[in-house]
Amino acid sequence: MPRRPRRHQRFKSWPITFSPFGRALARMGSISMPKRRSESIENNTPSSASNGFIKHPLDEKPEGSESSDGEFDGVVQADFAFFDPKPNDFHGVKTLLQTYLDVEEWDLSGFVDLILEQTTVGTVVKVEDDEDEGVFALVTALNLWRYREQRCIIKLKDFLLVKASQEKGIADQLRLLLGEQAHNVGLLVSQRVVNLPPQLLPPLYDSLFNEVSWATEDEPTEDLRNSFRFKHYVILSKIYKHKNAEQKRKLSDDSVEEIVYVKPEDEIFHKLSLWSFCFPLRTQQPAPHELKNYRAMGLIMAVEADKIPSFRQELGSLINET
Amino acid sequence: MATRLQFENSCEIGAFSKLTNAYCLTAIGGSENFYSAFEAELADVIPVVKTSIGGTRLVGFLSVGNKNGLLLPHTTTDQELQHLRNSLPDQVVVQRIEEKLSALGNCIACNDHVALAHTDLDKETEELLADVLGVEVFRQTVAGNVLSGSYCALSNRGGLVHPHTSIEDLDELSTLLQVPLVAGTVNRGSEAIAAGMVVNDWTAFCGSDTTATELSVIDNVFMLRGDTRPGDGFDGMRKSLLDSYK
Repeated sequence: MPRRPRRHQRFKSWPITFSPFGRALARMGSISMPKRRSESIENNTPSSASNGFIKHPLDEKPEGSESSDGEFDGVVQADFAFFDPKPNDFHGVKTLLQTYLDVEEWDLSGFVDLILEQTTVGTVVKVEDDEDEGVFALVTALNLWRYREQRCIIKLKDFLLVKASQEKGIADQLRLLLGEQAHNVGLLVSQRVVNLPPQLLPPLYDSLFNEVSWATEDEPTEDLRNSFRFKHYVILSKIYKHKNAEQKRKLSDDSVEEIVYVKPEDEIFHKLSLWSFCFPLRTQQPAPHELKNYRAMGLIMAVEADKIPSFRQELGSLINET
Repeated sequence: MATRLQFENSCEIGAFSKLTNAYCLTAIGGSENFYSAFEAELADVIPVVKTSIGGTRLVGFLSVGNKNGLLLPHTTTDQELQHLRNSLPDQVVVQRIEEKLSALGNCIACNDHVALAHTDLDKETEELLADVLGVEVFRQTVAGNVLSGSYCALSNRGGLVHPHTSIEDLDELSTLLQVPLVAGTVNRGSEAIAAGMVVNDWTAFCGSDTTATELSVIDNVFMLRGDTRPGDGFDGMRKSLLDSYK
């Protein structure tokens, strides 16, 4: 079966603050760079090979690229690469998942360990050759039955059910998905630094869903193979809802969005979802100026697995438009 | 025996607490678990005080202190200052200082006798450290890092420093500080030692990601094996065991 090669993207600088490298980027301005013509495909470093899944980052190493420290020519180049999760990624992934369950105290470290142990399905986005090994994005799908006895998953399920308790009708559907039907339900975890270039998203999600389908064939045991035959995905995410949502509908003012999605793909998931609901978040985060009329809300939704192909298509066209 | 705990899912407990031989400061968190963990261990011996500094919860990063005193940055409000003066024992001198490097906890590591300070610290601050905290101040880097406070956890019995500290540096620091030193990590490989743990002469608290190996290193170097009690007379033995060069 042909393996889709990993794509490698290089981008201008942007504010990211998860590592000293990121802070160095944030201090620099950004200027357009002409695209490099030469590309070399390197066969992979030992950092990511498991179960026959090799990741091929396309390396674009520009010659004489690095601006020296202190010089402010404003050009920073970074090559992103996709990797299998490794135990070393613990701190980076934990930072990304810090507010996953809002302010709930739970076994976050255990949850991170779970994600890192599942090397067959799951991708971590890092910068090639970055000494700090800063993690810029994470995507994975965890079978809710396979891990049902883990403390962190039990707490997570309780959290979701508590939030759903206000929503009549949805609570029962959620309980089914987390309980009896959990064999075929995957928790889709996708977290990233706020300004990650959106061009990375289609390959990122492609890699996830491809790995899921490869796993249904390549996993060593029948149980494991079945555990990746997801029929539903449950997604926990964050959005901004306009504070005057009621008023808005009456005025039907199209220039102001009712919901602002922190992650662009959430809009597509939301549209394709089987059901969804929002709940207020307790974390107090200062909202950026443009969002001062919005309140941060958590969003929980379920998406059927057979909607994924249309998701991938719509994501591709959404990103290409912007 | 060191205790493992978290502050609201963060293992950086050294950011949110300050532990000395005479008092303990903790940040005000959403749940009471953090404060209760300190209270359970310390309540009979020293006061555990909940506070903020400059309206923030980073009491560990912003303050520096020992049994003689507590130094606070200029961002501390009058109410916080008064609250601390009221809550801490009388012999602890609480002072707010004008220092441009306001994250005092990150810049200065100290025990009851010596302090390691950021190389760019003001002269006045150095003098205040000597006066208020009663310590001898050494401007030193730790593993090439100027934030000596962040990369070193110090008690009167031992110290844990940044894992990349060279043997020569370890020897030099150990001579300066007159305590045994070990280079190690906390919180599963984190190099920011003081962010991940707090320690005094008889107990220590570490972030819950700290592995069993890291914990045993901490127990060893800070001599926390549980067979000693506060005020064990170690201070008396210290003079005869260690030379000091004046």
